[in-house]
Amino acid sequence: MKKAVIPALVLLASCALALLAGNSAVSAGRTLEVLLGRGSATERLIVLQVRLPRVIAAASAGAGLSVSGFLLQGSLDNALASPGILGINHGAGMFALLAALLFPYQAAARGLMAFAGALLVTALVYFLSAVSGLSRTSVILSGVAVSALCTAVSDVIISLKPETVADRAAFQLGGFASLTVSSVSLAAPVILAGILLAAIFAPAMDLMALGDETAGGLGLPVRAVRGGFILCAALLAAAAVSMCGMIGFVGLLVPNTLRLIRHGRSRGSLLMCAAYGAAFLVLCDTLARLAAFPYELPCGLILSLMGAPFLITTLLRRRKRLGLQ
Amino acid sequence: MIILKDVITGYPEGEEFSIPEARFEEGRVTAVIGRNGSGKSTLLRTMAGQLRYRGSIRLDGEECRELTPAARARKAAYLPQMLRSAQMDVQTLVEHGRYAWHGALRRMTEKDREKVERAMERAGVTAYRDRLLTRLSGGERQRAYLAMVIAQDAPMILLDEPTTYMDPGMQEALFRLLRSLAEEGRGIVTVCHDLPQTFSFCDRICVMAEHTLCACGTPEELARQEELLRRTLGVSLKNTGDQELVFPWAVKR
Repeated sequence: MKKAVIPALVLLASCALALLAGNSAVSAGRTLEVLLGRGSATERLIVLQVRLPRVIAAASAGAGLSVSGFLLQGSLDNALASPGILGINHGAGMFALLAALLFPYQAAARGLMAFAGALLVTALVYFLSAVSGLSRTSVILSGVAVSALCTAVSDVIISLKPETVADRAAFQLGGFASLTVSSVSLAAPVILAGILLAAIFAPAMDLMALGDETAGGLGLPVRAVRGGFILCAALLAAAAVSMCGMIGFVGLLVPNTLRLIRHGRSRGSLLMCAAYGAAFLVLCDTLARLAAFPYELPCGLILSLMGAPFLITTLLRRRKRLGLQ
Repeated sequence: MIILKDVITGYPEGEEFSIPEARFEEGRVTAVIGRNGSGKSTLLRTMAGQLRYRGSIRLDGEECRELTPAARARKAAYLPQMLRSAQMDVQTLVEHGRYAWHGALRRMTEKDREKVERAMERAGVTAYRDRLLTRLSGGERQRAYLAMVIAQDAPMILLDEPTTYMDPGMQEALFRLLRSLAEEGRGIVTVCHDLPQTFSFCDRICVMAEHTLCACGTPEELARQEELLRRTLGVSLKNTGDQELVFPWAVKR
């Protein structure tokens, strides 16, 4: 219980900061009043219609992508596994492009199509890897092959219809600038449900860390559990990508940083991953909104600029502690 | 008890191994010996339900392929040859031995905790229960995994070369532990390469050669089949009868 306090406080603090920070000055007290159902119409608009959906979107996307990476890295036994490696991001990107081509004036279509694309690609990768034995290698190779295919199709669309590229660029950088309330209300509950489901079955991941043969000998249905975790990871990533585009790095950064500094049971690590991933993306989005005011930077850029040095520093500190220098 | 009848097993697109008939019983330490690639580990993996097979393998009266992984694990514990240095402490590892009894969703019961404590004591790992597997020597890690298998509390225990990474003293202690587990009623089936150890400590020995299980018997019965041992293992063995020796059996010229 004590271990849960710090991540919970970090998440709460980052969400509070994101709700308070903005171009229009709404004090902490007024923000609290709005959240309690009072406040002026303008304040209610700013807090409830602009900032709050964005905080919920950033928190759920950060949590979803981090847990997705955690599940993939654990079940595929590969620290480099992430939603990107399964082709989920590229599938979502391709379908976002298709949406720009087919429904150019409907912003909500992009999110929905990206979600559908991510799920479709996941189903395809899962089918291909299941046919070839659902081993760690077959899953990753299938993901790489499908990613390449999605990228090629995207390039064909851009070559034939260059006007779709603006949408694609925004989607590739990733961010919450063009967020719609409908995409949040669709994706956030899916992410919450996915994380709860993953947390319930997380102890099975502790056994998988012992290797397939040992885990099988202990009574774990290894292939079924691996398949379930991969599907759950794909669902989480699909929901997140449909809201924020290709912010894939958080799925590598948060689980790997936690793994470097903490050893413990999978359920606790998974929940910490969710809390820190959510807090980190909320902070990145807040910075993206404020760093170059009156312009807004893509959240994906801030994430890479802050996250990459952080991961490198943790890696070097860990190396020193292990006496590897 | 594990009973095999007309079993054909192997890896997809690999060699096939046949076991016309074999029986592994509780209360005994049975060794499976043979040259490299003779199919010893394949036999163990098949009995543990990790490989597909044709024919019949009955675990405690039930067909192995028809059991769920957890039901199979409650009847036969299996420890493979290659063991991981996962980022977890010894006690957590041993607690995983109870997975087949409580699954992923339920918490450990008081009975589970008692089994875990007892298993750690028997395997001699209680003193370093809080240490990470990555910080253990090869032999210590092997013992920690053995404690996990003991905590699994299955009537049959299948071990693939459990003495790997152990020094001679630790190997002897391991065989004494296996003997005491057998005396309590558990059936041990272990793949071994060290013939004097095997003949000195095991009740029964099965020989794998030429893609089949070609002989089973007590050490004395097998030692009398000198020609078979020379053909399948390249050596034969003799009981020196010297009770001062830890391993009274020796390899003959």
